[in-house]
Amino acid sequence: MTASPTATPTVDLDPMVLFADPYPLYAQLRRDTPVAYVPAMGRLLVTRYEDVVTVSRDWETFSAREDTPGPEHKIIGETLMSFDGEEDHLRLRRMMDAPLKPRALREHWEPVFRANAAALLDDLAGRGEADLFADFATPLAAMNLASFLGFEGVSAQQLIDWCKGIIDAGGGYMLDDAGIWERGFAARDGVIAATDAAADRVRGNPDPSMISSIINSPEPMTPQQLYSNIMITIGGGLNEPRDVLLTAAYGLLTNPDQLAAVRAEPSLWKKTFEEACRWVSPIGMFIRQVARPVELGGVRLQPGDKITGVVASANRDERVYADPDVFDIHRKGPSHVAFGGGGPHFCIGAWAARASIGTIALPALFDRLPNLRLDPEREVPWGGFVFRGPLAMPVRWDA
Amino acid sequence: MPRIVYVLPDGTRREVDAAAGTSVMKNAVLNDVPGITAECGGSLMCATCHVYVDPADAGRFPPRADDEEEMLEVTEAEVRETSRLSCQLTVDDTLDGITVHVPEEDA
Ligand code: HEM
Ligand code: FES
Repeated sequence: MTASPTATPTVDLDPMVLFADPYPLYAQLRRDTPVAYVPAMGRLLVTRYEDVVTVSRDWETFSAREDTPGPEHKIIGETLMSFDGEEDHLRLRRMMDAPLKPRALREHWEPVFRANAAALLDDLAGRGEADLFADFATPLAAMNLASFLGFEGVSAQQLIDWCKGIIDAGGGYMLDDAGIWERGFAARDGVIAATDAAADRVRGNPDPSMISSIINSPEPMTPQQLYSNIMITIGGGLNEPRDVLLTAAYGLLTNPDQLAAVRAEPSLWKKTFEEACRWVSPIGMFIRQVARPVELGGVRLQPGDKITGVVASANRDERVYADPDVFDIHRKGPSHVAFGGGGPHFCIGAWAARASIGTIALPALFDRLPNLRLDPEREVPWGGFVFRGPLAMPVRWDA
Repeated sequence: MPRIVYVLPDGTRREVDAAAGTSVMKNAVLNDVPGITAECGGSLMCATCHVYVDPADAGRFPPRADDEEEMLEVTEAEVRETSRLSCQLTVDDTLDGITVHVPEEDA
């Protein structure tokens, strides 16, 4: 437990209020207490764009190593997220990011992502109504993830269950109950078995998948590192593309002028994707621990202080974005920090998400389902602050 | 201390005294040189640190590595012979006065 450092502003935030809508509270924090201790989390929240970028990039001061790892560590173990920017971290990252860089995506994965989206949309097209969350975004993200991991014969539903098992066990806002741990460990065992099966298939017989890249690298990971990193990739690689797809669709469906603009000018899909990441960041925050004394946002920090960089807040910082609460695909301003503020932990899945959602799924969705619209009789519920997005999205179209 | 010269698209020159062993990207960011956003902070994941090395200085840096070559495919601005990702360019005392140009579209 870190005590609140002296002279640090302390702010009581209710996690339930944050879950419902964190943005008004973040605006208040940015204005009054940009580095504030929050007792309910036991951490200092950093909410301005500039400070979030500093925390993200200066890994020698703001370390990803925590001396009391979070609950997810019990299930997942040490991953890329447990290292700093040193050689070993880079070596492990290279094995995992190489198969997801732009060239590999173009050569191998874009056709696969396109086929996955088409298969789901072909099934839906005749129905005239659906929940885009359950019927499109979730299974699509799972199918794409299974593809590039190298999980053959693992169903979308299986991967969705494993992802939920891993996330719930680590989720900061979930209540501690025995069932959560049971499901978490069951998910871990399932992932290990599927990883072993994939590893056996690709060993000495490389394919473009992430597991192949790891297994066939000159100095491969240990089995434990492999399992842990595949688990973090499942925990961090399914819900985020799902959420950004839904957020972007919502942004366009509620702003018909922007939808018309992007249909007339397809190069705007890219901007639509980036704006959705900024507007409602799928991952709201990242955590670090202070490694040496430093001053940030006017507050003196000491080694051991636990920091949360709130990218969701940085992405709405009025210091860098005009009308930050408005969805606007034509927006100017600095790059969003939804993939992290830069530095050693910058998301390895950024290009895969851009390709699978921005280049492929969004245009396919609006092309294949004519006159797509939100169901006027039902609401779109939103929730979350560690992770955030629509929890359902009932839509109709002309079938 | 090697000096790095950044030439902006409008011709303005920005000169920065850099610590040996640091990158052309890092010094641009520390000194708010516009147009080098370096979104990924040097992880070779973004290509938003693209610069053109001045033709007079061509050959003073070691050649591009494969993974740099690959990320250059996704720069916004046109890729030329002299294109580099500035996070991959480390300066030392032998590189004093090195000059790079910030591309138009990134600025
Ligand atoms: C829109 C989609 C996505 C968003 C918004 C997102 C967001 C993030 C963020 C904010 C971080 C940095 C965490 C930190 O600094 O501590 C991160 C890291 C990471 N992401 Fe993503 N992510 C997305 C998609 C993906 C996908 C598809 C994958 C699958 C490969 C993935 C795998 C990872 C991994 C493994 C890391 C850890 C990297 C490291 O620590 O070196 N992400 N992501
Ligand atoms: S800073 Fe991202 S590739 Fe150079």
